[in-house]
Amino acid sequence: MLIEKNTAMQHRARSSFVVLFLLLLLAFTISSASAATERERTLVIGKVSSNPKKHYRYLKPMADYVVAQMQDLGIDRVKILMARDNQQMVRYLKRGKVDWITETVFSAVEFEEKAGAEMVLLKWKKGVPEYHTVFFTRNGTGINSLQDLKGKTLTLQDLGSSSGFFIPVALLLEAGLDLVQLESPRETAPDNAVGYVFGKEEINMSTWVHKGVTDAGAYANLDWDREDHTPSAFKENMYIFHESESYPRAIELVRKGLRPEVKARLKAILLAAHDDPEATAALSAYQETTRFDVIDDSVMAGIERARKALKQVESELDL
Amino acid sequence: MVFKQLHLATVLCGLMASSAFAADVDYLDLLDVLKQNNSLTEQQHKSLVDALEDRAGNAEAEIQVATKGGLELGTYDGQFSFELGGRLMLDLAGYHEDQVKLGNGTEIRRARLEAEGIMYSDWGYEFGVDFAGADADIKDAYIEYRGSWPSTLKLGQFKEPFSLEELTSSRYITFMERALPNAFAPGRNIGMGYQSRGEGWITAIGLFGEAFDDDVANEGDEGWGVTTRVTYAPWRDGRKALHLGAALSVRTANDDNEVKFDSRPESHVTDVKYLNTGDITDVDTVSLLGLEAALVKGSWSLQGEAIQAQVSRSSGLATLDFSGWYVYGSWFLTGESRMYKAKKGSFGRIKPTGDSGAWELALRLSSLDLTDGPVTGGEADQLTLGLNWYVNPHLRMMMNYVRVDNDDFADDDGDAQGDDNPDILQLRAQIDF
Repeated sequence: MLIEKNTAMQHRARSSFVVLFLLLLLAFTISSASAATERERTLVIGKVSSNPKKHYRYLKPMADYVVAQMQDLGIDRVKILMARDNQQMVRYLKRGKVDWITETVFSAVEFEEKAGAEMVLLKWKKGVPEYHTVFFTRNGTGINSLQDLKGKTLTLQDLGSSSGFFIPVALLLEAGLDLVQLESPRETAPDNAVGYVFGKEEINMSTWVHKGVTDAGAYANLDWDREDHTPSAFKENMYIFHESESYPRAIELVRKGLRPEVKARLKAILLAAHDDPEATAALSAYQETTRFDVIDDSVMAGIERARKALKQVESELDL
Repeated sequence: MVFKQLHLATVLCGLMASSAFAADVDYLDLLDVLKQNNSLTEQQHKSLVDALEDRAGNAEAEIQVATKGGLELGTYDGQFSFELGGRLMLDLAGYHEDQVKLGNGTEIRRARLEAEGIMYSDWGYEFGVDFAGADADIKDAYIEYRGSWPSTLKLGQFKEPFSLEELTSSRYITFMERALPNAFAPGRNIGMGYQSRGEGWITAIGLFGEAFDDDVANEGDEGWGVTTRVTYAPWRDGRKALHLGAALSVRTANDDNEVKFDSRPESHVTDVKYLNTGDITDVDTVSLLGLEAALVKGSWSLQGEAIQAQVSRSSGLATLDFSGWYVYGSWFLTGESRMYKAKKGSFGRIKPTGDSGAWELALRLSSLDLTDGPVTGGEADQLTLGLNWYVNPHLRMMMNYVRVDNDDFADDDGDAQGDDNPDILQLRAQIDF
């Protein structure tokens, strides 16, 4: 009798355990399924940022505008995800954590090569489809070509800048010049090399050259044209002695493996945005973008120039 | 060989799982060496490197930490942020007294701690307390809804949208003290405000009670007011800016039915307020009209405001009109430019471009007339010469020389002597973080 009771109790305990296990399994399945559904319903826009709070305000209106037109594709949510540097963005892209990013052409090349991201559109950031680097100096330095920079000091922007680092450094390397990084703008360059120093902000770069702290500088033509980056009073005493070829201003990319219909819709929405009055505020917030264009042969040529410059700089400067 | 490679890969996986993140770079080097030695296949090398990168990704911080003296924290999804900052202003004033004793001395003009943040992307807050003086004085203390950006809604204590100089932070004003007409500016009160902006324009409107520490006698009701400001900046291009603005404020009196306008001589170490209407009784409403303009062209700038105050009174008493204005010019000897913030409709931080900092010379004329009919609050004109040295973007030394020209009625509501014309030399050391 006692044995029968024990057996019945064991049976009930086993049954309870099985029910509990099944319930847990069910909960896990539901939670996994809902997590997957949540991700599928969400379009994640990303950007490399040193100021996530500020860039959130750039990205959110555009993401909202796009997602409002993706309901029929099952996407009705927006997420913003910023990375602190390109390496982190590469990891996000590889793990499918971000769907759509907006970046400079040099970063775009890196994301394509390291994470399989696909460049889909050219972005007219701040109303401009392309830009280039200008090398400038002040009157009386005698600098008229890149070769004249040997033994001189050159102000560049910072290690992450396209027009203020990658493009000018690639041009100098291509011209067969050696480069040496200096600790301070007051330091003298070796006779046989170009000494470069980082000015960080454009106004510092133009001021250093204007005041004779450094011999020359290199940044975007857009900075040369901006009064707050290069005051007219400075320009009266300075001149441009070399200009690079043009590069695309900014590129929109999507991650590898993004659903083709989502990618196609995103492209269609962005390409038509400049004709849609409802997109005005979103475009303005999105780094004062005025329109998007398809990547045609001339844009592709610029991308290839960036790819070549990036490779050259990375291999020769051991970045 | 294949078995050896498989075994090695398994061991490495185990090692990686138990290793510290800091050692990952060493493991990458090790993996490269093992691949070069053919101890790992291409496939194994790739999957181990991928696993390592994934682990680095999972371990990486989701929070950005930054400092420029204070503390800034923010999540990389832009949803949350927190900033802790503050400001300290230390003053020294010497008075070349005429007839009235003003009291040479020192003062901690501001000693403020400020916290601000964003939560769930759409909700912001700011809370600041100033410890200068005997009490803790609550400054900005509000909740902000940002979900309809760039339109925002604020609830709490904050500055009413009135006067360019008032709305420019004390960290960035050109002179040590705001000009005489600031006596009319409503400043911070508790209320609700809406602001929106577009290409160069800003509109703001708010409904306000009184400040947190204003207390009406005998449990009487507070006064309340509506204030609105519109600004437009046709030029707002870095070193070239033109700012135009107008503001209107209408406020009912509290249950005391009294109002008072007064002003120190643009120097805060002294407590003498030459210009002082005393308590004006039987007040129904106070209306303010402000016009403002500023021009920045390279290292030169001009700024000016005119404010008219109208006090309507009951009991058949005549309406009173008071007014004030100021105009000043500034020049950066070192080439910098005043920083106009088009998104705020006010001025911001100066960033020196040279190693020796930025030097600014400024000259201001200001005037305030608080006399009308039976109210003889006095009239004064003041001339201020200012020299500022911006050692770096967060540290500033200031020197102001002020000439005061008071009329006979400028007697601090009878507590001082009229027609008193002192000269003032004052210095400030200021840091903010």
